[in-house]
Amino acid sequence: MTPASETHGWLSTQVGNFSLEVVWNATPGEVLVFYGPSGAGKSLTLKGITGLLKPKFGKTVLAGTVVADSVSGCWVPPHRRSIGYVPQNYGLFPHLTVEENIAYGLWRWPPSKVRERVDVLLENFQLKRVAAKRPAHLSGGEQQRVAIARAMAPEPKLLLLDEPFSALDAELRRSFREDLRSLMSSWNVPIILVTHDREEALALGHWVLVLDSGKVVAEGAPLSILEQPPTALLARLAGVENLYRGRVLSRSALNGTMLCDFQGVHLEVPLVSLNKDTYVTVGIRARDILLANRPPKGISARNVLEGRVISVSVRSPVVEVVVECGITLKSWITQEAVEELSLKLGSKVWVVLKASSCFLVADHGRI
Amino acid sequence: MTTVQGAKVPVALLTGGAAITLYLLFIGLPLIALLFRALEQDSFLEAMTGAHAMTGLRLSLFTSAISMGVVVAIGTPFAYLLARVDRPVVRLLDTLVELPLVLPPVVAGLAMLMAFGRQGFLGKWLEPLGVSIPFTVTAVVFAQMFVAAPFYIRSLRLGFQAVPRELEELSETLGVSPLRTFIRITLPLVRPSLLGGLALAWARAISEFGATMMFAGNFPGRTQTMPLAILTALESDLSVALAMAVLLTAVSVGILVALGLLGVAYRRDSQ
Repeated sequence: MTPASETHGWLSTQVGNFSLEVVWNATPGEVLVFYGPSGAGKSLTLKGITGLLKPKFGKTVLAGTVVADSVSGCWVPPHRRSIGYVPQNYGLFPHLTVEENIAYGLWRWPPSKVRERVDVLLENFQLKRVAAKRPAHLSGGEQQRVAIARAMAPEPKLLLLDEPFSALDAELRRSFREDLRSLMSSWNVPIILVTHDREEALALGHWVLVLDSGKVVAEGAPLSILEQPPTALLARLAGVENLYRGRVLSRSALNGTMLCDFQGVHLEVPLVSLNKDTYVTVGIRARDILLANRPPKGISARNVLEGRVISVSVRSPVVEVVVECGITLKSWITQEAVEELSLKLGSKVWVVLKASSCFLVADHGRI
Repeated sequence: MTTVQGAKVPVALLTGGAAITLYLLFIGLPLIALLFRALEQDSFLEAMTGAHAMTGLRLSLFTSAISMGVVVAIGTPFAYLLARVDRPVVRLLDTLVELPLVLPPVVAGLAMLMAFGRQGFLGKWLEPLGVSIPFTVTAVVFAQMFVAAPFYIRSLRLGFQAVPRELEELSETLGVSPLRTFIRITLPLVRPSLLGGLALAWARAISEFGATMMFAGNFPGRTQTMPLAILTALESDLSVALAMAVLLTAVSVGILVALGLLGVAYRRDSQ
C-alpha cells in the first residue's frame, strides 16, 4: 500500500511513430514542470495521466490510489480519476455562464454546497463581476482564471496546467503568473505545469523534467537545470542564446579562470578541471552581455571585445542586438539603452562580459 | 483608381439587385398566383376545412411526426458516429447516407417495393408471418424516412464536427460520464444544426410524393397524404386542390418557422 500523499507515475507508449517514455513524481503543494520544445510529448504525457489517452504501458498513482496499471490491468476511466485539467485553449463550455462552467464538475454535490464552493472560487479568482457572462464575452485573462477555477472546483487530487499562459500577451503573462503563484501556495494539491517558457518554469516550478522527443533528458531544480544548463543538449533546450566551442589556452588558479580561444577570440571563463588544449563549450545568456559605445576603462569585467552591430530587433520587452566581434554574440538590452548608446546597424560597440557570466557546458550531445 | 472603384460598386449593385429581383419574382410569382386563385374560389374556406383536406392533413402530420421521431432516434447517434469516427468504413457510410438525396423519389419507391413487396427480398419472408408493409401507413412512414433522413443526418453530422472533441474530454476530466457529457455538452452545442436539419427533413417528408405513390399507393384515409390528395382533388375540383395546396404550404412554413425560432432563441440565449 502506498502512502496517501503519493502521486506519481510512468508511461511508455507509441503514437504513430512517436514514442513516449516519461517517469514523473509530483509533490502536494509543489509545481512539477514539464519543460521542452513543442513536439516533445509534454501535452501527450498529460493526456496519458488524465486517461484521455491510454498508454500501452504505464502506471498512475493519485494520492496513494492506483488509477492505471498496465501490469495488473487496472484502468479507471477519466471521469472517475478526479484530475483537474486545464488545456492550452482553456476549453470553456461556450453555452454555459462563468458560474455554470465552474459548477459543472460539482453535479453530484448538494446544491447548497455547490453555491458555497462556487462563491468561494468566484471570490478567489476575482470573477464575481463576470459570474453571469458567457466565455465569449471574457478577456483572455478572465477565461484563463475560469478554466483554472473550474478545474479546481471538484477538489481534484492533481492539477494539470497545459501552457496556461500561452494565450496571453507578455505583460499579462507576468502579472497572472504572480497571481497564480500566490493562489497555488494555498492549495495543497500537486500541480504539473507544461511550458516551453523558461521564465515561467523558473518562476513557478519546484522541480523540472526536461522532455525532448518523447524522453526525459534531465530533471532537477529549476535554477540548476535552466539557468546554467550542465549539458549542451540542455543548453539548447533551455534556449541559451550564445553557445561557443573552443580550446583551453591557459589556466590561472589564482584568478579561478582559464583563457580560451574561440575562433581567434580570447575569453576568460571560470576555471574547471580541463587541461590546456582540450576543447570546451561555453554558454552565455544574452542578458548577461553588456554593451558600450566607447572603449570601457577601469572595469572589473575580464572580457572586453570590440565589434560591430549587425542586427537590432525588438523582442518585447527587450531589444536583441547582435554583435560581430570575431564570434557572433547576441545581447539583450532595454529599448532605453539602445537609444542612449544610439545603436544602429554598423555601429561600433564594445562587448563587456564577466568571466562568471560564461558557464561551461559538458560537451556531450548536440549543439 | 477611385473612379474605377466608384464605377464598380453601382455595377455590382445593379447586377446583384437585378439577379435578386428576378429570383424573387421566379419564386414568388407562382406562390402569389396560387394564393390569389385559391382566394378567388367561393368555397375556399369550406374546401380548406372539408373532409378531404382534413383527412389528408391529419395523415400527413401523423406520418411525418412518426418518421421524424424515428429519424431523430436513429439519425442522432448515427450522425455522431459519422462525425467522430475517422475510419474508411465510416467515410464510405458517409457517402451512402447521402445517396437518397440524388435518387429520384419514384425510383426510391420502386426500390422499396422490390425490398418490402410481396415478392421482395425481405417481403418474401415477412409475408408468411402475416406482415405486409406496402400500401399501408407504415409504407408512408418508410417512404418519408427514406427521402428525408439524409437532410437531418447531414446537417447534424456537420454540427457534431463543429463541437471540439476537447470539450467532451474536458467534461470527462470533471467527473462527468461520456453519456452525461453528450447530454450536457454535445447536444446543447448542436441544437441549431439539429433543429435546422429537422426542419429541412420535416419539410421534405411532408411534401413527399413520388416514393409514397409508388410504395404506399393512394388510398384516402390510409395512405393518401396531402400531396397525393391534392393531385386526386385536381382531377375533380380545382378549388379543393387550390385550398389544400394553400393549407399544406401554411403548415410546412409553420413547421419551418417554429423550428427556426427555437434555433434563434437558442442562439440569442447563448450570447
